[in-house]
Formats: sequence, C-alpha cells, structure tokens
Amino acid sequence: MKKIPKHIISALIISLVVIVLVIYLGFVFSSQKEAEPIYPGPGVTDIKMLSYWYPELKDTSGDTEVYILDSGVEGASMLVLGGTHPNEPSGFISAVMLIEWCEPEEGVLYVIPRANNSAFTCTDPLEAAPTRFYIETGNGERWFRFGSRATNPIDQWPDSEIYVHASSGQKLSGSEVRNLNRAYPGRTDGTFTEKVTYGITKLIEDEKISMTVDLHEASPEYTTVNAIVAHEDAVGLANMMLWMVEEDLTISVEQSPKNLHGLTHRELGDYTDTLAMLMETANPSQGRLHGKIDSDLVVSGKDKFYLRASSYGALTVPYSEDGISLTERCARHITCLIGLCDMYDGDDGYISLGWDMPTYDEIMENGIGYYLADPE
Amino acid sequence: MDIELICLLSMLGVFLLSNLLFKLPVSISMILGAVAGALVGGEGIPLRHLAEGTFAYLDTSLIISTAMLFMAAIEESGALEALSSSIVRKFYKIPALMLILLVIVVMFPGMITGSSTAAVLSAGALVAPVLLLIGIPKEKTGAIICMASIMGMAAPPINIPAMLIGGGVDMPYIGFDGPLFLMTIPAAIFIVLFLGLKYCKNMKIEELEKSLDTETGKKYGLKLYIPILVLVALLVLSKVIPSFPQLGTCLIFLISAIVACFTGKRFNPWKKALDAMETTIPVIAKLMGVGMFIQVLTLVGARGWIVVSSLSLGLAFVYFASCTVMPAFGAVSSYGAASVMGVPFLLVMIQNGGCSDIVVASALSFLCCLGDIMPPTALAGNYAAQIVGLKYKPVLKNCIIPFVVCVLIGLMVMLNSSALGFLAR
Repeated sequence: MKKIPKHIISALIISLVVIVLVIYLGFVFSSQKEAEPIYPGPGVTDIKMLSYWYPELKDTSGDTEVYILDSGVEGASMLVLGGTHPNEPSGFISAVMLIEWCEPEEGVLYVIPRANNSAFTCTDPLEAAPTRFYIETGNGERWFRFGSRATNPIDQWPDSEIYVHASSGQKLSGSEVRNLNRAYPGRTDGTFTEKVTYGITKLIEDEKISMTVDLHEASPEYTTVNAIVAHEDAVGLANMMLWMVEEDLTISVEQSPKNLHGLTHRELGDYTDTLAMLMETANPSQGRLHGKIDSDLVVSGKDKFYLRASSYGALTVPYSEDGISLTERCARHITCLIGLCDMYDGDDGYISLGWDMPTYDEIMENGIGYYLADPE
Repeated sequence: MDIELICLLSMLGVFLLSNLLFKLPVSISMILGAVAGALVGGEGIPLRHLAEGTFAYLDTSLIISTAMLFMAAIEESGALEALSSSIVRKFYKIPALMLILLVIVVMFPGMITGSSTAAVLSAGALVAPVLLLIGIPKEKTGAIICMASIMGMAAPPINIPAMLIGGGVDMPYIGFDGPLFLMTIPAAIFIVLFLGLKYCKNMKIEELEKSLDTETGKKYGLKLYIPILVLVALLVLSKVIPSFPQLGTCLIFLISAIVACFTGKRFNPWKKALDAMETTIPVIAKLMGVGMFIQVLTLVGARGWIVVSSLSLGLAFVYFASCTVMPAFGAVSSYGAASVMGVPFLLVMIQNGGCSDIVVASALSFLCCLGDIMPPTALAGNYAAQIVGLKYKPVLKNCIIPFVVCVLIGLMVMLNSSALGFLAR
C-alpha cells in the first residue's frame, strides 16, 4: 500500500481542526442573534414593528419593535430611540425602563429600544467586548445584549473605503457606512442601514412626532459628553429642560453643528417637523483608555485606568473611585426625558410620562434594576 | 506592577521568542503571543476573541488578494513592461521631472483608496520596472515605491487614519486637504529625489533601449493598457460620483484583472492566480495574527495600559509619542494606531488649547500612515520588496532617512498648527 506523505497528513489534520473550529465558532457567533426578553409594562398599549411604517423592512434584521404607550389623553408625542449604538447600554436600558415602568398620563410615548436591531447581533472586532451584561433586579438577575456600534456586516457588506452621505455629499470614513447615526434621513434605494433610518424617519412623519430623543453614550475623554445636542429648533426646549434639572445634575446644551450630517439631531430636525435631540452620558466601557472590559465594567463603570487618566486631567467629566455606573447614566437620561416632557409646550398639546416616574435621586438610591421587570 | 503590563510583556515575550528563537513565522508567533496574553490575563484560550480579531482585516485581506491577481495579470499580459519603456523614452531628458511624475503616479491609487497596499500593488508595480530600468538599485527602488505609496495613503482626498481620528471626536472630514498636501507633496518630492536622482544623471537612452521591450507595445498598441484604464476609471468614478455603483476595491481589481486576460499576451490565468495567492497568503496570515493580537491586547486591558501610560507623561510626551509610539504601533496596524492612539492624543492636544484641531489631526494621521513601513507587518515595505525581488530588510533600511524627515515634517506641522490653521479653511 502506498504511504501517504507526511505533509498531506499534516494538512488533513489541520483542515479537520479548522473545520471543527469554524462549526463551533459559527454556533458561538450565531447565538448573538438571541435577543433578551423585554416585558411590556402597564403603560404599553400597542407593539408594532418598524416595518409597519416601511414595509420593505419586514422579515429583515432591520425590522425592530416599536412600543407605543398611549395615555388615551390627546396631546403631544415623543419618540425615544435606544440602541442606536448597542455598545452604549444606558440608552438601551433607559428605553427598556420606559417600556417596563412608564405609564404616561398625557400624550403618546413611542419607544424603540433596539433602533439598530442588526447591530445587537455582533460585537466590534478588536474591541473585545462582552456579548452580554447583567443587571440585578428586585427579584433576580437579567441579562442584556451588548452589541456593536454598527450594523452587522452579515446584513451590509462590504464597506466602501469612503462613506458619502447621500443627501449632503459629506465624506466620512468607510467604517461609518454601517453607523445608524450617520445614515439619517435614510432612503429607500440606499444601504440596509439607510433603509432602517428611512423607516424611523417615516414613523416620525406619519405619526407627527412632536419631539425625538436619541439616547447615546460616549467615552469620558470625549468632548461632547454629559450633554444634550439639539437641532436649532429644539435648543429652546433643551435649555428650559436644563433649568429644570440643574439641581440634580450638570449637563450642557450644544447646538447641532450644521456641517455634521447624517445624525439624528441634524437630519431629523431638517427633514421632519420633530424637535430633534441627542443625549450623551459618559461610559467608561467605551473609548480607548479602559482596562479589561466585561459586564462588571459596563454596569459599575469603575475602571482604574480611567481613574488614572482623570488624575492626569485627560477626561472631560469628573471621575472618582465610584466610577460612573449604569444606574447613574440611566438616571441622567430618564431625568432629562421627564424634564423635556414637562417643559414641552407645543401647538399639539402636552405630554406627561406620569406621576410614577422616579426622580434622579430615587433612581440613584434604588438602582436601575429596581425599575426593570423581574426575570420570568 | 499592573497585571495588564504583565500580560503585555508576556505577549511580546512569547512573540519574540517564537519568531526570533524558534524561527516560527510572524503570523504563528503573533497567535502564540495572543494566546499567552489571554492565559496570563485569566481568559483561557478565548476562541471567540481570537476569531473575532481576524475579522478586522477581512476586507484588507481581500483587497490585497485581488490586487495581487491584477498585478500578476498585467505583468503576464505585457502591459507593465510596455508602459515602463514608453515612460522612459518620453521623459528621459528631464530626469527630476520624470521621477516626480513617477512618484505621483505611485501615490495616485493611495490618494483615491486611502491604502498604501493598493498603491504599491497597482501603480507601484507599474513604476518599479521603470525605476529599475533607469538604473536605480533594487533596494532604493523598493524604498521609493514603499514611501511614495505611504505618501499616497496620507495625501488627500482620502486619508483613512484622518477620517478615523476625526470620527473619534465627531470632526467632519472637511478642511484636511490643505494640511495633508502641505506634508505629503514636499515629502514625496524629497523622497524620490533623495533616493533616485543621482542614478538618473548618467542615463543613456541608447543603452536603455537595448533592454526595453518595444515589441509588445507595438503589437498590441493601446489595447494593452485597457486594464489599467479600467482600474483607474472604476476607482475614480466610484469615489467621485456618489450615485455610481459601489463596486468596492476588490471587485474593481478583479474586473481589471479579468480584462487583462484578453488585452495582451496570452497566459494561463488559473496558474498565475495560484502563483499570486501563494505569495499573498503569508501576508494575510500576518494580518490575521495581528488581529488576534490586538483583540487580546484589548481583552486583557493592555491596550488601556499603553494609552493611559502615554497620557501620564504629559503634553511633551504626547508629542514625542505621536512621533514614535504611534508610527511604531503601525507594526500592528496604522488604522489601529489612528483609532487607539490618534483619538486620545488629539483630545489631549485640543484640551491644552492653542492649536488648530484639523491641522493637528492631519499631522497625526500623516504620522499614523508612516506605520505601514514598520516591521514585522510593514505592509507597504513587504510588497514593495516583493515587487523588486528582495526581502524587506534592505528596502526598509533605505526608508530610514525619508522616514525621519517625514516624522520631522509631521512634528513641525503639529507644533505650528495654529499658524497653519489657514490651510484648514
């Protein structure tokens, strides 16, 4: 019998190992498609999919749940976008908290917790992020998905070297082509991501949304942080809100730059009648300065390298040994949302998120898990 | 000592031992370094992270592969040699101008794609035979191609590290053209004249013509250059006209390579494709190893340690690190350097005030681009060396002086950014 050469045997063994690894890793990566349960609270009156407003999204991973909390009392409306960037968890968790806790008393609240649903199904290469993080509720631990800043390449690939924003011609790095918050107002003949933003824009137009707030986070060394960025039409409202919340927290209002395109606070303000705003909290699990990244860092916000960077004056926000917890970041978002609703005074009436919404101090005292439903 | 520093030292130690002592390939050594870091950091063997790290370079690997197919195709069709002989015969009387024109030709694909690899493998492959023909030694030719491709990568309109740095601080990619031209064009002219001019002075066209292939050009005429025209046209159109279908660089290289199969001398495409891939796979493996290495560096917190330690040494050190650590990080990835170090460095400089943020970001991106000659990856150096048929060490040796000059240009621009602010308007 002819002897098989050694290099063929080595090649066969290596190929076999690679095949086994690829199958195993295929299951590992596919498992990220599993979404965490969200438990609609008493305020939720309807759940629609985004494809209701833009049917082309139906049966794609761009389709996402829109929770409607209708008070039954005629008034203004607010759209809250969480999960535009699924690696910025305070926006997502604040949106989930509204769905599970809030009972509006006037007007209608729309909440999209996973605005870029596709981006929840992957993480960013080289960022070594966890795929889940865990929050203690009153009665057990719940898990939530930690995702990517951008649409999963499975849904939109390859990236062009340069991303040219369609309506303005603005050029950005090709990696931004899958960034939901660079793709507004969207278009029907555009990329997957642009179709999702088109769906959101269509919802805002069809439902005549009075104000839209996109919840974000940024790294503590970033210049626009603990801030609300408002379209020029919404600056007045944002400033009034500032006056209302200044006792509890320090936050700045910045006007949306006119030459920075594709973002909610610019394009939704320009292309629709909504008052468009974006809020940023400081997230130590973002940026380049943090140490080991895991669920604990995401939730506690404690990081020794950020503490050191703070002592060197490299951060734009105060940072102590207590870190900047997810609870604190969500408390900021929720407090500002309540403030915006309370201060809104448009032709279409008022909106109130309800008497049961917690104050900043209450959220800080009880923890954000207290306002989330218990796991089933 | 921080555990993150111990992880970093373990990773570097295992990498160096594997590569230098046990003579394992760079790619395998980087994987072993990554696994060692993960083990020391208490992460076991993180298969998911190792696999995820490789995805960072999937697109780059595909571009390199298809560019190599294109290069092999135009070489076999005879287009390369015909182009070389025609350039030499037209411009040999004004050697300095000829060299400057040639270096701009090399820069062009880099300016359009933002990739030094694309520049080396497309225009670099076309120009290298010309430089060799006029008598510039192989190692200097390789150095010219390598440095010119990096200048192309840094030059406007497309500078990806600048976009990455700008994106990190929400700075639109506007106003970068002036500062980037100020650095790249003078640097490119200096590089080509410094490395090549003295070899052109005694150029004798009669002797050169003996070794020039004029037959292929005559036989096929302009048809021979169709693949190059297709490549340039598709690259330019897809960047200039937003409504033009976004074919992507890979597909553009592939289409141009297929066209080359029908426009010149006949060759066996399957065999040539296999040969091209054989030379490409080690570089792709290196990139995959780099991806795993950075992913684990982040996973165990060593990336944060590197950045925070750099910031801890004050503004003067940030300038120093911008000129040293940041290009050195290019050994791992120049895009990575822009994202990991460029963004915090820019923020520190902005916070200290008195600088033009766009000019500083341009200079930082210019310094990041220089990382493409840093071994062991040395993407631009590796391919420039392959084109001239050398190992990359002699090529990189000849890049040292141009590299230092470029670093000084970058530093001067950063230090004088407010005075140069008018360029960003």
